[in-house]
Amino acid sequence: MIELQGVVKRFGSLSAVDGVDLDIEKGQRIVIIGPSGSGKTTLLRMINFLEKMDEGSILMEGKEVGYHKDKKGRLVMEKPHVISSLRSEIGMVFQHFHLFPHMTALQNVMEGPLTVKKEPREEVHKLALDLLVRVGLQDKKDAYPAFLSGGQKQRVAIARALAMRPKLMLFDEPTSALDPELVGEVFTTIKNLAGEGITMVIVTHQMGFAREIADRVIFMDNGRFIFEGHPEDLFSDRMEHPRIKTFLQKVL
Amino acid sequence: MLISALSLLLLITPAGVLPADVPGKPDQYELLSQGTRLVQEGMLDEAVEKFMQVPPPVPGEDAGVFVRSRMEAARILFSKKDFRASAGLCDEILCILPDNIDANNLARQIRVAETPEWLKFLKDMKTYLPTLVKATSMTLLLVFITMAISPVGGLFIALGRISRNKAVSSVFWFYIWIFRGTPLLLQLFFIYYGLPSLGITLDPFAAAVMGLGLNYSAYLAEIMRGGIESIDAGQMEAAKAIGMTYWQAMRRIIVPQTYKRLVPPVGNEFIALIKDTALVSTIAMVELMRAANQIFSATFNVYILAQAAIIYLVLTSIFTVSFRKLEDRLGVYENR
Ligand SMILES: Nc1ncnc2c1ncn2[C@@H]1O[C@H](COP(=O)(O)OP(=O)(O)OP(=O)(O)O)[C@@H](O)[C@H]1O
Ligand SMILES: [Mg+2]
Repeated sequence: MIELQGVVKRFGSLSAVDGVDLDIEKGQRIVIIGPSGSGKTTLLRMINFLEKMDEGSILMEGKEVGYHKDKKGRLVMEKPHVISSLRSEIGMVFQHFHLFPHMTALQNVMEGPLTVKKEPREEVHKLALDLLVRVGLQDKKDAYPAFLSGGQKQRVAIARALAMRPKLMLFDEPTSALDPELVGEVFTTIKNLAGEGITMVIVTHQMGFAREIADRVIFMDNGRFIFEGHPEDLFSDRMEHPRIKTFLQKVL
Repeated sequence: MLISALSLLLLITPAGVLPADVPGKPDQYELLSQGTRLVQEGMLDEAVEKFMQVPPPVPGEDAGVFVRSRMEAARILFSKKDFRASAGLCDEILCILPDNIDANNLARQIRVAETPEWLKFLKDMKTYLPTLVKATSMTLLLVFITMAISPVGGLFIALGRISRNKAVSSVFWFYIWIFRGTPLLLQLFFIYYGLPSLGITLDPFAAAVMGLGLNYSAYLAEIMRGGIESIDAGQMEAAKAIGMTYWQAMRRIIVPQTYKRLVPPVGNEFIALIKDTALVSTIAMVELMRAANQIFSATFNVYILAQAAIIYLVLTSIFTVSFRKLEDRLGVYENR
């Protein structure tokens, strides 16, 4: 469905993402793990065109999208409105939620379909209410983000992304900013989505969750994938790769 | 009435005891000229004494010298702030010549001088307040028009200023640099007196609105730019992530979040604006400052300026309170 080929991102002399191939099939649940600074966030941001890649290509349904080459052969992002419409098909959930603080939970969820898709208000209202029910927050619909707990904020953020009916959901450490007792409610919400067959790529440091939800795990280090496969293989005792072994020993 | 009659009696008595035909009665012309000489020598008390010795005229006699000498005495007493004695002399003259202009004028001056300050203030207020209030409506009109123009202009300039396009950004930087870096007074002069030489002639009102609008847009632009840049970058990312364009994100997400933060600094600007409208009095606009100044120049009555000051204070206080209320209202989404 979405495919990355040879994607490279440099910050100065540092290659944050260093030639990555990734094929995301419909309904897949891919979890990316790896040490801090290994390029996980940068990779997600490139999938959502929030970061411009330096080399490589992104394909949607087999078609290259989002970039063209200039005369010198360098990649140039397409015009903003093209990028915006590509982004509207990919939902993203951030570590720090980034809810719109001046809007209620319901308004946050309605905002995308209303402003971007220009859908009729009544329909959007109904859709948003349904989504808030799905993340278990129907009774908080009129609350402003400042009056919600971290876990509730993240669930509203998930509903906000889902309201655009994305083909793909990206989660960048969705529970890292949460108090431990709030992590569970967000995981439960994401697991429910997985049960509904929503395609997702999740970056997380929670190995238990990764093992439970992933049908494919990727271990990223220094901008490269050094392991890609079934979670049971990654977490098995047969795992010989020294980087992965020390990392897992530290986090488990 | 009673008092003036009494003082009249009192004052008449010393001179009046001398019957007109008593021998050795001093010559009234002589007394007047002696008194005048004493005034020239600066011996005022003695002069008053001399003037008072001029006897009242018997019926049928010419009252000229008597009136002149009493008038001189009354003036001296007035200048020494002995208002009661001075008023008594005026009454004495007015008994004989009720239409005497000098005596009437002095009597009025005495009444004014005797009025307590606060009463004078209230009287002036009654006389001039309608004029000042009318002028205040012009001040307010200028304030409200500028308050309507400058946020729009300011936002436009602020957005231009943060543009990633270098050329656009520098044009707006230049604008802000000019209008914040030179005195508003100079800008008003340039627009009103300078533009005609470029073939653009504006009436005072148009020039005032233009000057204030351009100037305050520049100030608000910098405040708004600060407000926009103070919004967490994650907000723009989140807006883009749900497919918004830059301008949609600005309009729906970023700019609305600045409102509450902008109220205190923008409120301060608008309070300064109330006072800055006084500057347009220099380009022939009749607003509160100019009206007050006109009355002041005609009357030299400093209370007029105090009244204008009070009106300015009332306006700025109302603004201060309103902006605080507005700030609270805009902050409903914050958890405090
Ligand atoms: N805007 C940027 N400018 C310069 N360097 C950057 C920028 N963003 C990321 N980097 C660098 O790129 C590398 C990869 O960063 P990235 O945030 O993708 O890592 P990560 O795997 O998400 O780490 P973490 O687990 O800490 O979130 C890091 O070395 C980081 O310092
Ligand atoms: Mg990260």
